[in-house]
Parts: sequence; structure tokens; C-alpha cells
Amino acid sequence: MVGGGKDGSLAQLKGKLFIVEGVDGSGKSTQIDLLHKWLVSQGYLVVFTEWNSSPIVKATTRRGKREKLLTPMSFSLIHAADFASRVHMQILPALEAGAIVLADRYVYTAYARDGVRGVNREWLRELYSFAPAPTLAFYFDVPLTEAIRRILEGRPALKWYEAGMDLGLSEDPYQSFQIFQGMIRAEYDRIVDEHKLIRIDATQHLIKQQQRVRDAVMPHLRDVLRVDSGSVHTALSQTGLLGRYLDAPATPAEEDV
Amino acid sequence: MTPMLFYGHRPPNMPTQSLPGRLIAIEGTDGVGRSTHVALLKEWLEARGFAVLDTGFTRSALAGAGIQRAKQGHTLDPMTLNLFYATDFWDRLERQIVPALKAGMIALTDRYIFSLIARATVRGVRPEWIEALYGFAPVPDLVVYLDVDVDRLIPRVLSSTGFDYWESGQDYLPGDSLFDNFVQYQTDLLSEFRRLSSNYGFKTLDARGSVADVFGQICGEVEPLLASMQRESEEAE
Repeated sequence: MVGGGKDGSLAQLKGKLFIVEGVDGSGKSTQIDLLHKWLVSQGYLVVFTEWNSSPIVKATTRRGKREKLLTPMSFSLIHAADFASRVHMQILPALEAGAIVLADRYVYTAYARDGVRGVNREWLRELYSFAPAPTLAFYFDVPLTEAIRRILEGRPALKWYEAGMDLGLSEDPYQSFQIFQGMIRAEYDRIVDEHKLIRIDATQHLIKQQQRVRDAVMPHLRDVLRVDSGSVHTALSQTGLLGRYLDAPATPAEEDV
Repeated sequence: MTPMLFYGHRPPNMPTQSLPGRLIAIEGTDGVGRSTHVALLKEWLEARGFAVLDTGFTRSALAGAGIQRAKQGHTLDPMTLNLFYATDFWDRLERQIVPALKAGMIALTDRYIFSLIARATVRGVRPEWIEALYGFAPVPDLVVYLDVDVDRLIPRVLSSTGFDYWESGQDYLPGDSLFDNFVQYQTDLLSEFRRLSSNYGFKTLDARGSVADVFGQICGEVEPLLASMQRESEEAE
């Protein structure tokens, strides 16, 4: 039935779903990108999806942001629409096929951002109950001052909603951003405990963080779909091309032609 | 002042106290004559001195165009469409309906959450999920449900726009026959509307009669609301 079993269980799905969460500047995107490249280099079939990227919904979200039409509830609903579309088109089919799905931000981002904007927390959890439960969810934990330092390095132009300007916390975008990020981080703290996310110390060396992620992922890789890149391997070795990422192209079908 | 009532939790940016205006929803399936009655009711109310805001699906500034665009493609799934409509509904609630109610107007809406719930559940969406989603909706002062049977719908639809892709559930029903699918889809919708009608306490009106007859019944249901508004305005003097 559409709209999810209550548990959103992955039990019947052959694939694996790994997701990363954290405030802006926590380094989660870097880590999932490294994980992605490693899995591909190991010959696994990987589908990557990121927050707010559905081809049929994102134009509406973009318009809403540009024209400042979004309020806490419409912000929440349009992001849920985007997520639903990606579950339908990317995440579920890949999991059914037995592939690995990597998601940069997942339902917990909505729990944190929308919760901070005053949306009812129970309602949010029911709203997203159609989401497949992740195999592993990593939370990149970084002190607020460090996250803000990383983001504000170079003083970028902060976007309206990114800085939480819609909440009227401060007239100054930089100050608003800091208060808003603090609220989000506090909300994440509760979510991490509630949903048993794996906490990664995001102040550690990048290599060390990645090692922890891979160690956690490794035991879940049995029986996962792999790409047969034998013919590509042969072709590459014959021309003396043996790169770390080259040996398992993301689109083997096209390369094989 | 009495608190403003919601089906679920009161969402952010919504008033806590009831507002001076009145919210009237006209519900019913495709081709039952809702739009006709909404137009007539608007005229009738305005003639009696009540200011009216009328609204309906996909008329939001935020999501209206996005829904129209998405429905033209072939990648739209029921869950995304549900949430797109929910976005549209919320945006109109916040930007059109609530401001009208604050201003003491009558907000007249062609369809409410119930059409959206019925369309979703007949497509296999879990009723608990979609009903919880629309927990953010205020309880209207009056929900008129225009009830009809499929046999009466067919000539009405044929004599106006003909069978439409979405109104025939062609997006999810098997087979090519627009007619068969229309009958199946509308039969399912009507039974879902009746379930909702008893759960949510609609004013169910028999819409099989003439326009004048049905409209007369609607006015009869609206009259007490007008009387109470009149009273409140006199007390406020």
C-alpha cells in the first residue's frame, strides 16, 4: 500500500540505504562523496540522491524560495513532495533491485528544520512514514562555532531560508544564521538519540572519519548488487589505464559499447 | 471567543481563536455540479450583503503552476501528487482563506480536504496517513456534500467536457477504456466520500434533483450561519 507500512521496513528490500545528516559545514557531503567513490571502486552499483533535487518538484521549491512565498508549513510540504518523488523514482526502485542507495540528507533534515520552524513533531514523523528506513544513518557532529566558521569562511552571501531569516530571529543574516544553526543543532541532538543515528565526530581528521564510516558499512555489503566490469577492466589494462576510479565506471553499459 | 478548531494539531502561523468570518466547503465528485453551486452561492451571498472569497484547487500562487506542469508529464506518482496538492491547499489556506476569515468574509471553497483524501485512498494510499496529513486543516463551519450516483453523473459529464484522463482514474486503472475506468473510479470515489461523510459529519444533500432544487437545499443549510454572523455583528456594535 502506498503511504508506507507503519515501520517503513527494509526487510523485503534487497538493497541497502546509507544516509548522512548534519548541520551545514559538518562535512557530511565530503564524507558521503568519499564513500560513494570507494563503493564504486569496489564494483558496487550505487545510486546517489540528494535533498531537494526532484526534477518535477524543485522548480516550485526554487520559486517559493526566490519569491519568499514559503512559510513553515509550505516549506515542509514542498520538501516532502520532493522527497516522495525521489523515493518513487530513485530510492525504492534501486533498493528493490538490490543496489546501494546513498542519500545526502534524509527525513531527519526535515525533522530538524521543520521542527525548529514550529511544525508539530509527531505530524512530521507521520508525514514521512512512507520513507524506507535506512540501513545505517550517520550524523556528523560538529561544534556550532566550528560549523559556522567553515560556512562563513569567505563571507558567502547567505540565502534567506538557509539563514532562517523567515523566522525573524535577527535582521542581520549572519547573526540569524548563527542562531538558526544553533537551534537546528539542538534539534538534531534529540533526533540522533530518538532514531539511533551513528554519531561521527566531525572534528576528527577526514581520513579517520571515512574509516569509521567504511567500517560500519562493510558488514552490510554482502549480497549487494555488483557491476560486472570485467570487459572494461580488460580494455583498460590493455591500454595501460588502471585508475582507482576508472576501473568501475558509473555507467558501465555505455562504456561497454 | 472560541478556539479555532483543527482536525489535528494547530499548525504554525494559524490563529488560536475563532475568526469573525465563516468557512463553507462544497464537496462532491467530478460533474456533480459543485462549481455551478459555488458560483450561485457567491451571487446569493453577495446580494445579501456578505463579502465572499472563493477558492479552489491549484489556485495557489506557490504550487498551482507546478501541479499543472507535473500532471502533463509521465513521472508523477500518487504520493508526490498528494503532497503537491497539500502544498497548494496550505498556501491557499494561509494566503487566501484565513485572511478572508479575519476580515469577516465568507470563504467559499470549491472542494476541501475530503476530495484530496478520497482521490488518494482510491489510489491505494493509506487512509490514516492522508487523514493525518490534513490534520492541519481548520474544521469548516459547514461542509456541504453533494451526493449523486454514477448513472446520473455519466450524462452530465458527457454533455459538458466529456471523460477526462484524471477524472477517469486513467493514471492508475488498468485497461484503455475511458468509460469503464470512469465508472470504476467514480464508483470508488463515491463510496469513499460516503465513508468520509459519516466520519466527519458532512451535510449530505441529494444532488440528483434540478439545480434550483439542490441550490435551495444549500441555501437552507447556509442560512443559520448568516443569522449567527448577523447576531455577532450586532453584538459588536
